[in-house]
Amino acid sequence: MNAANRNGVSSAERPQRAARLIHHPAALVALRLFLAAVFIYAAVQKIGKPLLFADEIRAYGVFDLGPLVYVTAIVLPWLELLCGLSLVTGVLLRGSALALAVLNAVFIAVISYRTIGIVRAGTPFLEVYFDCGCGFGATYAWKKLLEDAIYLAASLVVLTAPVHRFVVSFRRRSS
Amino acid sequence: MQEAIVLLIAASIIAFTHNAYNRNGINPFRRPLRVPVVHGSVVDSLHAEAIRVVDLEEARLFVESGGRVVDARTKEFYVEGHIPGAILFDYYQLGTYCDLVLPLLAQDELIMVYCSDYSCEDSELLAKELYSFGYRRLLLYKGGFAEWRSADLPVERGE
Repeated sequence: MNAANRNGVSSAERPQRAARLIHHPAALVALRLFLAAVFIYAAVQKIGKPLLFADEIRAYGVFDLGPLVYVTAIVLPWLELLCGLSLVTGVLLRGSALALAVLNAVFIAVISYRTIGIVRAGTPFLEVYFDCGCGFGATYAWKKLLEDAIYLAASLVVLTAPVHRFVVSFRRRSS
Repeated sequence: MQEAIVLLIAASIIAFTHNAYNRNGINPFRRPLRVPVVHGSVVDSLHAEAIRVVDLEEARLFVESGGRVVDARTKEFYVEGHIPGAILFDYYQLGTYCDLVLPLLAQDELIMVYCSDYSCEDSELLAKELYSFGYRRLLLYKGGFAEWRSADLPVERGE
């Protein structure tokens, strides 16, 4: 038997209540608009500057300049823009949430990789500061990792929500 | 999953179309330039066409003799201050500045390129681009504007 707290909510009910709250239609719309604003802004900062963005990607030391870096520099800002617009309009909504979740997981991985390299060279973790090339300028790595973790969590909430308001669906409804 | 793939394909089509018509667009399949960069005053037959790295003193003499200088930084930094007589050539807006600056540069003249400081790579990247355009007499001042200013040498402001 679950123990009930003084509000009469059992410990087993708490996650369900949290899920209901986080999947509340108004909360989901707010999350979509928040993510859309972030990624549309980030995209606009990078679109049309592939050489600059390629150089920023190269600074991660994951790959050297080559087709993969240039293709990423050309396509990624537009993917971010389309995902942002999709979150606003509700067209391909879950697809954009999935794409943003994957992108943010990759961002966290590469920022962590670069940060570990700098920490190993002797800089304390909290003082690691660089321009991640995200479109928001230079910042502390821990802040950027926290931000990306929030964007990842928000994308997952949008992706896993059972029902969305303001969605354009191309699927035929079964009668 | 299918929706995400549709988005990726749509983004790729729009991105490559935009890149093709963007003046600062890039060829993603271009091969990295392998241009020799030599330090000091080594100018032998093997490195006759190399990009030569110069120090502060050589850069000063070059500027005083009226040599052609190119600033590879952005316009904001250039306006704040630059080496006297330097022409702005923002490396990251290559297409735009190629149209503006290349007509001013003769292929047989000696051109010195610089950017912010030793940590900045833009001057070297721009020098390599200029090399690929046929400019073979290139000097690279790696100390950049930071070293120039800290040596109390003359600085020009504005556009």
